Amino acid sequence: MMLLGALAGGFVGTLVLTTALRLAQVAGLTRMDIPLLLGTMFTEDRRRASVIGYALHFLNGQLFALGYAAIFYAVGQAGWLFGAALGLVHAAFAGGALVNVLLPAVHPRMGTRWTDASQTPLLEPPGFMLWNYGRHTALVTVVGHVAYGALVGGFAAGL
Amino acid sequence: MRENGYAPIEDYAVIGDGRTAALVARDGSIDWLCLPDFDSPSVFGAILDARLGGSFSLAPADRFESARRYLDGTNVLETTFRTGEGVLRLTDAMTLVPPGRLAPLRELVRKAECLEGEIELQWTVGPRFDYGRRHGRDDRRAGRVIFSDRAQALALGMWGTDPAPHGSVRLAAGEEVLFSLAWADGQPLVLGGRDDTEQRLEHTITFWRGWSEDKTYDGPWRDAVIRSALAIRLLVYAPSGAITAAATTSLPETIGGVRNWDYRFAWLRDSSFALDALLGLECPEEAHAFFWWLMHASRLTHPHLQVLYDVKGGNRASEHELTHLSGYRGSVPVRVGNGAVTQLQLDVYGSVLNSTWLHASRHSDIAGESGRAVAKIADYIAAHWREPDCGIWEVRSGPRHFTHSKAMCWVALDSAIKLAREGLIPDRTERWTTEAEAIRAFVDERCWDVGRRSYVRAVDADDLDAALLTLPLVGYGDSSDGRLRGTVDAIRRELADGPLVRRYVGEDGVEGQDGAFLACSFWLADALARTGRKDEAVELMDQLVGLANDVGLYAEEIDPASRQFLGNFPQALVHIALINAARSIVAEERA
Repeated sequence: MMLLGALAGGFVGTLVLTTALRLAQVAGLTRMDIPLLLGTMFTEDRRRASVIGYALHFLNGQLFALGYAAIFYAVGQAGWLFGAALGLVHAAFAGGALVNVLLPAVHPRMGTRWTDASQTPLLEPPGFMLWNYGRHTALVTVVGHVAYGALVGGFAAGL
Repeated sequence: MRENGYAPIEDYAVIGDGRTAALVARDGSIDWLCLPDFDSPSVFGAILDARLGGSFSLAPADRFESARRYLDGTNVLETTFRTGEGVLRLTDAMTLVPPGRLAPLRELVRKAECLEGEIELQWTVGPRFDYGRRHGRDDRRAGRVIFSDRAQALALGMWGTDPAPHGSVRLAAGEEVLFSLAWADGQPLVLGGRDDTEQRLEHTITFWRGWSEDKTYDGPWRDAVIRSALAIRLLVYAPSGAITAAATTSLPETIGGVRNWDYRFAWLRDSSFALDALLGLECPEEAHAFFWWLMHASRLTHPHLQVLYDVKGGNRASEHELTHLSGYRGSVPVRVGNGAVTQLQLDVYGSVLNSTWLHASRHSDIAGESGRAVAKIADYIAAHWREPDCGIWEVRSGPRHFTHSKAMCWVALDSAIKLAREGLIPDRTERWTTEAEAIRAFVDERCWDVGRRSYVRAVDADDLDAALLTLPLVGYGDSSDGRLRGTVDAIRRELADGPLVRRYVGEDGVEGQDGAFLACSFWLADALARTGRKDEAVELMDQLVGLANDVGLYAEEIDPASRQFLGNFPQALVHIALINAARSIVAEERA
């Protein structure tokens, strides 16, 4: 049941994370747009990229929830506080490595630190803790992921 | 020549992408650009404050002479600078994006090519966000200079020399520097390489050429008509189809005066003239989009119509002053928003219903819901035409019974009657006909000056109103009627100075006086043609076409003495009036 709870929490958590990021975009706090970043791995068309990106983002939310569930099983406990702590680590990983290093490495349209004059990447790379997308991006990312983790942990413990 | 940092308004040309527009001065400086849309805050606003506003200057370091043109059939500007040492060609465009390609949300491209000799090229890119209130920060990364403020960023890419916010480079013949200023808000910047930028520039030129080649006008003043069509197309806000009245705010109607208004909205008043021009030039898509914007926007306040709506169709336009800006040549206040939004202007009902008739007579169709809405608008005007209003010129001296407004109420009901007879809207013609006849009697009895043989500005007024020139244009009365002809003659006699026509000379509640309103001059040419004076119309039209600036654009007004442009620039209504006047003269010739 913990697994089902984690998956349900992952879905709700991704909703909250996505909405928080969108609100932050509208409020002028960040240029971070996860669906666009993910979708443009497959197409240059902004409209298609957004649709693909949202689908991928929710799929990722489920995959990470599985990872959270594995940790909950391994340590034998789950809860919103523990989930929130994992969310903090998740945010640090996302900002420090996942989106900063790994995404540009596999993204065919994004620049990296090793892009040279022979290449013409289209998308601005995010930089460490995603600072290139605005100085508040790190804060927004942390808040969103902590909320995601708390929801996954809370749902996993409650079911 | 600049005066205290300000170029004459006629020294500007416009480039744009159907969402926003930039003004490029003859000396190569971009002094106005709002991002992302026409009505957004400026990032380059030096035209409203040379010190604070921000600009993108790009020109030879040595003394130069410059000449400009738009590339044939496009909205891509080419400026040629000649110095004692060489010749430089500067191409300016806001790029359009090939379908399916990932590209910046907005992009300004500037390409500087040395054609002869050697040129020391210098540039300064100094964006100031939020109408000059915010400097933002600038960083260098990904081979670009990134100017950012909150979630908004501009990436300056340069090829041909090292990217820098300001600097200079010596170019020999055959060498070039390409600048791309890409914008993003709430999303990562799309950067791309030189080839991407060059391709977008080529695509932009190809698109505009294809668009203008489709235009069917083959009469006299063809260059002026096509340039006007391109200028109007540039002012169409592509996401909604609305036509922005002008690309700027607060360019003054008098230098140093207070008549400084924000025109970055869509006025319903312009709608029937705009639709007539678009349909006449075979722009059915633009006409259709504009009509649907009209129906969509007016639904928010239905059946009451606002004077203006924002370009996205919203009904808010509250006016406030930007007190930190010193204004064009000291003309304060600088206003954003437009207080006319709350005024009652009865003429807009005539414009909207006449637009509906023009659209329906081409498409023979109005959706059921829109048909019912149009009938309710006619009912509204049948019930309210007796009220005083602020009139077409949006006077701030209080409501009056303006002749033009009453006549436009008649046009509204006449259009509704025609639509009902075609079965396109619910039929309440009996009431509408009764009220239309009452309006006609009111105008003929209360707004007619027997001595002058002319309609006057308002009930019991003794002054004239150039808006009455539009009566033959919108089908009020019979063009061969002595009353319309007499009114045209009287306006020409009392309000015209050569080819220039003032709107009125009476009070309007705002201090100071404005210049000659150029749309009125084209309305005069149109009215002359329609009242059987074709040769006089041709002569006037020749003079008016000669008043455009070097790239064929017009501001709202012109100073009768100095012939300097005044008011917001470029103004859609003037270009719409030019097209319609040319078409009327051609129609008269062929008749």
